[in-house]
Amino acid sequence: MSDADTAMDDSDGGESELMLDPKVQESIGRSLKAHYDDIVNAPVPDKFLVLLAQLEATEHRAVGAFPDERK
Amino acid sequence: MSASEFKDGLIKEIPNLRAFAASLSGSMQLADDLVQDTLLKAWGNSEKFEPGTSLRAWLFTILRNTYYSLYRKRGREVQDSEGTYAERMATHGNQESHLDLADFRKALAKLPEEQREVLIMVGATGLSYEETAEICGVAIGTIKSRVNRARTKLAELLSIGSLDDLGPDRKSAAAMQRVGSEIVGL
Repeated sequence: MSDADTAMDDSDGGESELMLDPKVQESIGRSLKAHYDDIVNAPVPDKFLVLLAQLEATEHRAVGAFPDERK
Repeated sequence: MSASEFKDGLIKEIPNLRAFAASLSGSMQLADDLVQDTLLKAWGNSEKFEPGTSLRAWLFTILRNTYYSLYRKRGREVQDSEGTYAERMATHGNQESHLDLADFRKALAKLPEEQREVLIMVGATGLSYEETAEICGVAIGTIKSRVNRARTKLAELLSIGSLDDLGPDRKSAAAMQRVGSEIVGL
């Protein structure tokens, strides 16, 4: 079984979903989510919110400076 | 879409951008620089975003292009001098999974870039194969084959290639070696 799997892997035939044990795939999937969600759930540094607020404020000032463009 | 709606959209995507950037660059510090560049570019090009399409896919495209044009080399240098984030990063999940997560991240960092990015996009970000293919500028079949190779390589690196056979064998082989060396030691 493992010989055949290796051969399939090497041939790189594209649709070879059966290469891995579903349990292994599941375990990798869980770890991937754990890795990613760990960062997603981390607190967002304030600097990003500050940056976006500054960009928005600059835009408002620009619009205010050229009232004709507001239409 | 007003500037403030666009801003709110960007704010919502920041956590995902950080997670994707960290997965690409292997460094939380580089990831945050990358996210900052991405936000600036997104803001400057907001008129190019088509409302109704996926903002996440649009931002990931910008982030990925920025990474490959500017950050890739820096990423390797940072990893060489400071080690990967896998070794340094504080985790926010439960303590029990901490060790597993660190091991997984080390293995993930060893994957070729083109495999790692698609595995993350397809397996963790909620992006579809179609969106992933579009972001990477390749065919869906190519994405599928990279995902497969990435999974196989990860399983290999984590020694979970065949849970039922290899794992216990390796454990007992290691145990026997220990016993053997103890005996020799005596």
